[in-house]
Amino acid sequence: MSKKPVQNTTDPTNDSASLGVAEGKRTESASKVNRVPSSLDTAGLMERRKSPRIATTPPAPDAPPKFDDYGPIVGEAELSEIRYVADTLRGRTVKMVNSTAVGGGVAEILNRLIPLMNELEVPTKWDVITGGNDFFEVTKGFHNALHGEQYELTQAIKDIFLSYNEQNRERMTFDEDVVVIHDPQPANLIKSRGKKGQKWVWRCHIDLSNPHAGVWEFLRPMVEQYDATIWSSPAFTRQVKVPQYLFYPSIDPLSQKNKPIEENYVAKVCDDFGIDRNRPIITQISRFDRLKDPVGVVQAYKMARKYVDCQLVLAGGGASDDPEGAVVLAEVQEAAGGDPDIIILNLPPWSALEINAIQMASDIVIQKSLREGFGLTVTEALWKSKPVIAGAVGGIPTQVIHKLTGMLVHSVEGCAYQIRYLLTHPEFAAQLGRNGREHVRENFLITSNMKRWLLLYQLMLGVAKKEKAA
Amino acid sequence: MWPVTAIEVLSQEGTLMVANQSNTLTAKKEFVFNSAAYLLRIGTERAHTLNELLEGLRVVPDSSIFQHMFQTLAEHHYIREGFSNDFAHWAFFSCNETGLAERLAGIDVREYTSIKEMRQRIIQVIEEYVKRNSASADRKALETFYFCSSDTVVIPTTISARNLDDFVDGLRRVSLHSIHYHFINARLRIKLNSNDFSQWLNEELGLGALADKFEAIDIYTSTLNGVRRQMVKLAESESEHARVAA
Repeated sequence: MSKKPVQNTTDPTNDSASLGVAEGKRTESASKVNRVPSSLDTAGLMERRKSPRIATTPPAPDAPPKFDDYGPIVGEAELSEIRYVADTLRGRTVKMVNSTAVGGGVAEILNRLIPLMNELEVPTKWDVITGGNDFFEVTKGFHNALHGEQYELTQAIKDIFLSYNEQNRERMTFDEDVVVIHDPQPANLIKSRGKKGQKWVWRCHIDLSNPHAGVWEFLRPMVEQYDATIWSSPAFTRQVKVPQYLFYPSIDPLSQKNKPIEENYVAKVCDDFGIDRNRPIITQISRFDRLKDPVGVVQAYKMARKYVDCQLVLAGGGASDDPEGAVVLAEVQEAAGGDPDIIILNLPPWSALEINAIQMASDIVIQKSLREGFGLTVTEALWKSKPVIAGAVGGIPTQVIHKLTGMLVHSVEGCAYQIRYLLTHPEFAAQLGRNGREHVRENFLITSNMKRWLLLYQLMLGVAKKEKAA
Repeated sequence: MWPVTAIEVLSQEGTLMVANQSNTLTAKKEFVFNSAAYLLRIGTERAHTLNELLEGLRVVPDSSIFQHMFQTLAEHHYIREGFSNDFAHWAFFSCNETGLAERLAGIDVREYTSIKEMRQRIIQVIEEYVKRNSASADRKALETFYFCSSDTVVIPTTISARNLDDFVDGLRRVSLHSIHYHFINARLRIKLNSNDFSQWLNEELGLGALADKFEAIDIYTSTLNGVRRQMVKLAESESEHARVAA
């Protein structure tokens, strides 16, 4: 691929542009600057939309980035501070335990976080609990129940959970200074706490704001034996008798989904999917799930189209292996009603680069969720300086601060209006994008997470020099 | 033993400084740039109404007041609009009480040298508002306010300065967390209506006028990068002025 200027670079120190650009001033959208146009004509694009080119095999994985690779992104001063904190922990060891080595957000985070921690000489081991199908059926049931679904919690179910936790306890060793247990599946490993001075942390990645009472009361006594708990949002917490820390989830700016990519590649992906780069592009990237309200997005798009020209891209996955996903996909296709400017893409799980390209090509990214965990798809879009329109649910309001880093909406009509507004006020939209990127740089990058983990270890192990608020 | 080109200078306050041949004042006590990192802890208190906010404000630890009044300036240092403090933000966006939000936003952290005084002022503002607008007291907010607090850990840097030129260089190189630590948080540490930078410029280099200009930088209408740029510009201008005068 020839060297072309990569997208995804903004000057964080340039805050000369202010919000509130004069009404009626319309300038070229930031997404269109340096944009390689479509190589297909309109007829070609329409044909491509009927048969998009979707990769059938995963791409070769990138080499994992080194800690210093983050210097140009967060600054050397930030890296120095992280190194300093890590140095104070020299010789201390950590173990992290979760339920799966591949698939899912937790595994994705740990795959990046743990090598970086080891590079900073904070030896961190990663262990994964094992269990039979019955155990994972139980934990899946717990997962849904903790999100508020109906569930029949029986003694047999509890016994299965406890039994597999016990088996894992016998198999694993816990000699480290700090043990971190991720999510409910391994929660009862706390019974292995033994080494003097050892600290145990429970990291909850899910939204426990409205859990099934029985399941929570079953887990609560285990959670309250930990030295500290970590949550992704204050709204997700329960009242427990142990300290609760706030760690936002994070993205890796050097992953395939977020790294800077060549403009030529963005153009190629758009051509592969029949996306016309000469016209505004509105995108929602989510699996086909009713809680993401893809039908609502189609409705909002149709309302907005009466006033502004644009295309809608709905790119998601999961419809192939999830019966409910296939039903939702069919609902979306019906709602689209054959509109040639609604491009629906059912992408395989290895489409990180394509998703990156679609987000980069977009003028607006939508996440009109009706319920959401933290919403890392929003983080990804913000990091790419895209103006985001999102549902005010879950962790989204932490990221999308209304009118500052994006626009929060509560209805189809609200979403439609914001599409119209942002497409007709590109300077305001661009400022939202700039603010959004800085918000992510400060709070939601993997380096921020590394710092939080290291600080927590420092404080728990009594190594840190805390400063009192005077 | 001073270099032969050094000239001893006594500042007005009697602090001994040294000027070298280029007339760059050199302080005896160097400025050591520190930074700070924060772990956010979620408290047990939360508020759904203004009355509940008042209840929380009366009992939460000092570190919670600190978090919601000072830390937000670091967490949102890239935004100039709307983020004077979390209480004002919540009053506006979740309670739709614009008048209260404006009054809370008017509480300037630079005017306080203790959390206790600041807490009293916040409570006073809300109490007065609720007294005049009784219907607002128990009206449910759109979003819950979660009282949080932060555990602060000081992180030293390797950057220090003994003269103005090195100080400017340090300002450019440190992280924004360091700027926040010395320029905003310092007010509580040193219990003066000032900041670390101004204090050092005044006491160690005798640059009282420059110290005052630093103090006058408006942290509420600038991003922290903007604050940094203003400080660098002011200090460079002073340094140039001193060179020309020499």
